[in-house]
Amino acid sequence: MDLTFYGEEDNSLVKIDPRTKFLIFIGSGIMCFASYSDLGVIIYSALLCVIFVLCGKKFTALKSALLLGVMLYLRVILKNSQGAPSVILLLVTALSTVFMFGFPTVMSLLLIIKTTKISQFLAAFQAIHLPIKLIIPIAVFFRFLPTVADEWNGVRKAMAFRGIVISPVQIICHPWRTIEYMLIPMLFSSISVMEELAAATMARGMDTDVKRSSYEKVRFGIVDYILVILLIGIIVFTTIIGHAAKGGIM
Amino acid sequence: MIRFENASFHYGGENGTGEGVDNINLTINDGEVVVLCGTSGCGKTTLTRLINGLAPHFYAGDMEGKVWVDDICVTDSEMSATSKLVGSVFQNPKSQFFNIDTTGELVFGCENQGLDREEIHKRLIKTQKEMKLDNLMNRNIFELSGGEKQQIACGSVYTASPSVYVLDEPSSNLDRKAIRRLHEIIKKIKEEGKTIVISEHRLYYLMDLTDRFIYMEDGYIKHSYSSEELSLLTDEDLMAKGLRVTDLSRLKRGNEQGEVKAGTPVIEALDLNCVRGGNQIVDIEKLQLPEHGVIAVIGDNGSGKSTLSEALCGIGYSEGSIAFKGKYLTEKERSQKSFMVMQDVNRQLFCDSVIEEVMLKSSIKREDAESILERLGLKDTIERHPSSLSGGQKQRVAIASALCAGKEIIFYDEPTSGLDRGGMERLSELLREMSGEITSVIITHDPELILKCCTHVLHIENGVVQAFYPLNEEGVTRIKWYFTSESYENYSKKRKKYGMFGRVLNYAGKWKSYVYLAMGFMITGAVCGAVPYYGIYNLLTKLINKQPITLDNSMFDISMVLLFGLLNALTYTFGLRLSHRAAYHTLENIRINLQEKLDKQPLGVVHDMGIGAIKKLFNEDIESVEIMLAHVIPEGFSNVIVGAALLILLIGIDWQMALFSIIILLFGIGASKQMYNVGMDKMGTYFASSKRLNNTIIEYVSGMEVVRVFNRDALSGEKFEESVRNYRDFGLEWYKVCWPWMALYAGLFANMILYSLPLGAFLVILGHISVTKYILALCVSFALGPMLIHTLALIGTLPRVNYKIQSVEKAIDRVALLCGEEEFKGENHNIEFDNVRFSYKGDEALKGISFVAEEGKMTALVGESGSGKSTIARLIAHYYDIDSGNIKIGGQDIRDMSLSNLGKEVAYVSQELFLFNKSIKENIRIGKPDATDEDVIEAARKACCDEFIQELENGYDTLAGVAGKKLSGGQRQRISFARVLLKDSPIIVLDEATAFIDPENEKKMNDAIEEIIRNKTVIVIAHKLSSIVKADKIIVLNKGKIVGEGTHAELTNGCEEYRKLWNAARASSSWTLKGGKYDDSYDA
Repeated sequence: MDLTFYGEEDNSLVKIDPRTKFLIFIGSGIMCFASYSDLGVIIYSALLCVIFVLCGKKFTALKSALLLGVMLYLRVILKNSQGAPSVILLLVTALSTVFMFGFPTVMSLLLIIKTTKISQFLAAFQAIHLPIKLIIPIAVFFRFLPTVADEWNGVRKAMAFRGIVISPVQIICHPWRTIEYMLIPMLFSSISVMEELAAATMARGMDTDVKRSSYEKVRFGIVDYILVILLIGIIVFTTIIGHAAKGGIM
Repeated sequence: MIRFENASFHYGGENGTGEGVDNINLTINDGEVVVLCGTSGCGKTTLTRLINGLAPHFYAGDMEGKVWVDDICVTDSEMSATSKLVGSVFQNPKSQFFNIDTTGELVFGCENQGLDREEIHKRLIKTQKEMKLDNLMNRNIFELSGGEKQQIACGSVYTASPSVYVLDEPSSNLDRKAIRRLHEIIKKIKEEGKTIVISEHRLYYLMDLTDRFIYMEDGYIKHSYSSEELSLLTDEDLMAKGLRVTDLSRLKRGNEQGEVKAGTPVIEALDLNCVRGGNQIVDIEKLQLPEHGVIAVIGDNGSGKSTLSEALCGIGYSEGSIAFKGKYLTEKERSQKSFMVMQDVNRQLFCDSVIEEVMLKSSIKREDAESILERLGLKDTIERHPSSLSGGQKQRVAIASALCAGKEIIFYDEPTSGLDRGGMERLSELLREMSGEITSVIITHDPELILKCCTHVLHIENGVVQAFYPLNEEGVTRIKWYFTSESYENYSKKRKKYGMFGRVLNYAGKWKSYVYLAMGFMITGAVCGAVPYYGIYNLLTKLINKQPITLDNSMFDISMVLLFGLLNALTYTFGLRLSHRAAYHTLENIRINLQEKLDKQPLGVVHDMGIGAIKKLFNEDIESVEIMLAHVIPEGFSNVIVGAALLILLIGIDWQMALFSIIILLFGIGASKQMYNVGMDKMGTYFASSKRLNNTIIEYVSGMEVVRVFNRDALSGEKFEESVRNYRDFGLEWYKVCWPWMALYAGLFANMILYSLPLGAFLVILGHISVTKYILALCVSFALGPMLIHTLALIGTLPRVNYKIQSVEKAIDRVALLCGEEEFKGENHNIEFDNVRFSYKGDEALKGISFVAEEGKMTALVGESGSGKSTIARLIAHYYDIDSGNIKIGGQDIRDMSLSNLGKEVAYVSQELFLFNKSIKENIRIGKPDATDEDVIEAARKACCDEFIQELENGYDTLAGVAGKKLSGGQRQRISFARVLLKDSPIIVLDEATAFIDPENEKKMNDAIEEIIRNKTVIVIAHKLSSIVKADKIIVLNKGKIVGEGTHAELTNGCEEYRKLWNAARASSSWTLKGGKYDDSYDA
C-alpha cells in the first residue's frame, strides 16, 4: 500500500511554505468557480505542475501534465470534428470540463498532502494566528487520511474472506448493502482509533493555553512571494480581466 | 510523588459502562517503578488514566476523591498542566502518534509546552543519544515496526522530560527483541530517578525493574507484592489471580496436549516469493504445514510472517505455487477456504447482530450456527451488536463466522495481544478443541500461548524458513531458548521503494544517463520511423485527387520518406549502441558486486547453493539485465511513448477509427496482460525445475565415475531423466497456458490494419469521412502496428527477466557474515565456546556447547556422525555465524576479527584437498604467499612429501592438474599438511585429517602431524578413537550436546557414551584383525 502521505522534502528543490500551499489550494477553488477562460485554468495547472517539480515530485508532475494534455487535446479535437453524434460530443466535453476545472483543486490538495509534514501544518497555522481550537480539528483531519487508507486496506482483506465483493455490479444491484459492508467495519475501527488518537493527543498537552512553539521552521521565502504574486496575477487575469474582456465582447 | 486520595471513578456519559475503580488510596514515591496488574477490566488502565488526567477530563464519568501528582491536583487542573508532569505511552502504536514523521513526533510534547527551538533541539539530541534512536530519525512512522513505534513513543515522552511516566500495556504488540529494548528504556528512565507506572499483562520482563506490583480486582486494589513475593507465587496461584507468568524459564508445555502427530500436509508452498514495494519480503523454497496442527509462526517483527500468511490464505500477491490438501489453488480459491482473524478484529465485523454476522454469506442453518456460537461461549450475545462486545468476544465471533462458513484453515494474527491470562487460556483451549477439525496457524510473540496449545513451530527470519519443528520435549527447550536468549540488535532499514525498472537502473549507476540518452535517441528514431508514412500519405492523396505524379511534385515527399527512413536507422542504431554500452558495463558492475558479496557471505551457505546455481547466477541470470537495460527500458519506453502519440494523432484524424483502434488495442492489452498473469503463475515452478535440472546435470557428471564403477547407471540415469522430463513438462505447461493469449494478442496487433481497413471503407461509403482522411488513418495504423508488436515482444520477456533479476538480488542481499575489522589481539590462543547454539537448515546442530581448548594442548572431539563434531570445527574457522553464544580466541570474539585476520590464526585442514591448477610448489606456497622456495621444500620435507614430489616428472614444478591424478589420497593429504606447516598458524583444526591413512604412510602421516601440532592449540576430529587416545582432553558429543569431557582414562570410567564408542571401535578393529592387514595400526 502506498502510504507516502506527508512525505519528506529530501529531494525537493525549494522549500515552499505550507501557507503558500494553502493559498494555492484556495486559489484553485476560486479558479474552479470563477474562471471564465480555459487559458487561465491551463496556465494555473501548468504552474501547479511546475510547483510539483520544484517539490521533487517529478513523476507525479509529468504524469499529471500528460493527462491534462491529452484531455485538452481531446477537447479541441472534438470541438472541431464533424459528424460526431451530439451525445458523445456532450459527454466528452462535459467530462473534459470537469477534469479541467477539477484538476487544480485535486492537484493542490495532493501537493499539501504529499509534501507537508503535520508539524509544518501546525507551525504554519500558528503563524497565521488561527486559534488552537480550530487548528486541532484541521490537523486531525489530515492526520486521519492515512489511517483511513490503512483501515480500508484491512477491511478489503477481511471482505475477501467473507466472500463480499465490491464490484460495480454489486454497487448497482445492492447499493445500500454494499455501502453498509464498507462503512460498518470502517466506522467502528476508525472510531476506536480516533478516540485513542484524541486521548493520546490530549495527554501530550495539545490543548494548552500556552502559546505552542514549533521546532519546524516555516518562513515565507522568496519562492513563496514569487508564487503568491504569480498566483494572484493569474486569478486576477482570469476572473476580473477575463470576465471583463468577455463581457466587453458580448 | 503520586497520591490517590480515596479516588473513585466510573465511566459515564453516553457510552459509559459504569465500570471503574473504587476507593483507591495509594501513594507512589518518587523514583519508584510500580506495575499494575490484574485481569482485563480490573481497573488498571483506569488508574493510569487517573494519573495522566484522561479520566475524568477526556473520558467522562463520575469522579470522587482526588489524585495528586507532585503538587498538582490532576482531577481538577487542566490536562495541559498535567501533561507537563506526566508522560504517557499507550498500548496501540497505531493510534498514539499525531505526526507522521518520527522527528516531528519526538518534539511534539515540547512544542505543546511552548519551549523555544534551541531548547527543543538540545533535548532532541539528548533523546536521540540516550534512547539510541539514530536509525529512527526522520522516518515515516507508518514504515516502522511495532517495537520501533513504541521506542518512538517512549522517546517522545522522554523528550518532554516529565517526572512521571505512565505506560499502558506497552508490550502488547511487541516481539521479543522489542520487549528487551523496552526493558532497557524503562531501566534507563528508572536510573534517572523518574517515577514509572506501568499497567501490564506480561510481567516477566518487568521482574527485575519493579519495586511494587499492585494487584487489582474489580476496581479495588487487592494486594501489593514485591518482585520477590510475586516470583514466589506458583503457576496455580498466578492462574487463580488471572496473572501471566513471571518467569519464562518456568513455562511448561500444557499437559492436556496429546502426542504430536505427524499429519499429512494441508498447505504446501513451493518457491514462494513475495515482493512488496520492490523488496523481497518472503522467499521460501518449500513449506509444508501438517493437517489438524496448531502451528505457531514466530519470528521478529518485519521478518515476513504476516506477508507469508497473507500470501498463503490468498489475500496477498505472491509468486510460486500454493496447494491446499494437494491441490493447487488460485488466490481467490484460497481465500474462500481459509480465514484470518485479524489483530484489529473490528475490521471484520460487518453486521448488526452476532447471529447475522456468523450467517453472512454462508448456507448454514440457524440452529447449527447457534450451536457453534454456544460452543464458543457466545450464546448470550446472539442478538447483540458485535461492536458492543469485548475484545475477546469479538475475536470469537470472527472465529465463529469462519467455522460457520466451513473454512478449513484459520490464520490468527497475534490473537493474544492485550488478552489477560484468562482470555489467553480460553483461546488456547478453544484452539486445542478445534484442532480436530481445522488447522490453525497462529502468528504470535506469546510463548505462553505457544506452549499451551501449539503442536508445531514455524520460525521465519528475514523471509526465510529458519526452522520448522514439532513441539515435543526438544521443541519446548528450543522455543524457550528462542524467547529467552539474547540476540543481536537490528533495526528495520529505511526501505526504498523501487519498481522493477528502478531497481535495474540503480545497478547501472553512472551508466544510467547513457540509458536515458539511448531512450532519447530511440524516441527520435521511432518518430522518424513514423514520418515516412506521412510522405506516403501525401503521395496517395495526390493519386486519389487525380493529380499527376511527377518527379517534380513528388520529389519532396519521396526524399522525405528516404531521409527519415535513414534517420530512423541511424538514430536507432546509435541508441542501441549507447544502451548496450551501458548494459554491458552494468553487467560488469553487478558481477563484481555479486562476487564481493558472496565473499562476505558464510562459506557454508555459498557451498549449499551448489556450483550449478552459482554458475547460472553469474552467467545467465545476470545476463538478463542486458535485455532490460539495452532493450526493454529504452526501446520499450520509446515505442510506448511514440505509439501513444500516434494514437492521439489518430483521434485527431478521425475519432471513430481511433475509437475502433483503441478498442482493439485494449483487447490486445487485455490478452497480453492475461498472458503475463498466467505466465507468472507458472513461472515459479518452471524455474524451480530448471534449477533442479542444472544441479542434477552437475551431480550426474561429477558422479559419473562412481556410477560406472558400481554399475548404478539405472538409478542415477532415472533421476536425470526425471529432471529432464520435469523440465520439459513445466516448460510445456508454461507455454500451454501462454499460447492462446500470445496468439490472440499477436493476431490483434499485427493486423490492426485488417480491422480498420473495412471499417474505414464503410465509413467512407457512408460519407462520414473523406477518402484522404481514411488513407491518413490507415497510414498511422501501419506505423503503429510494428511498434506495438515490438513492445509486446519485450513485455513478454519481462516475467522471465524479472525472475532472474530477483534471484540475483536474492544472492546479493543474503545476510553477510558478521565480521569486524579488528586484528587478532587475544592474550593467548585458547579457544573458548560459550553456550554456542547453531542451527543448520532448520535442524539444531549445536545445542548449547561450552568448552575450552587450551593453548599448547590437543583437544579431540568424538561422537557419532551427525553429533556436531565437524560443525564445531567449521565454526572455529567462521564458516557460519552462530545463533547465540560466543566463540572466543584468547578472549576475543571471532566475529570482531576480519576473516583474513582470523585466517592468520587458524588453519583448518579438512579431508578434502583442493589443488589449484598451478605447480605443486605454488600449491604449497598458498599457506604463506611470501615464503621462499627453500621454505616450501623444507615444509614439504617435514610433512614427508618431499620424497614423492621429487619422483614426479618435473619435481616441484609439476602442474597439480597433471600430478593430481597420480597422487594418492594420503599423498594429497600430506601436501595439505605441508601447506599448514608453512602457514604455521597457532591454531590447528584437523577435521578427519587422517581419513586417507594407509599402512605404508601411517608412520609418515603421524610424523607429519606430530610436526604440525607441536606447541599449538589443536582441535582434532577423528573417527578412529585410537588416534586420539593420547589427547589432553577428549570431548564426547551426542546430538549436538556435550555428554562427556576428560582424558581417555577418565572417560572410559565415567562416560557411558564414550565407552560405547570405544567398544564399537575395539570391535571393528578386531574384525579387521582377521583380515590380518591393519592390525597394528589400531593399538599404536
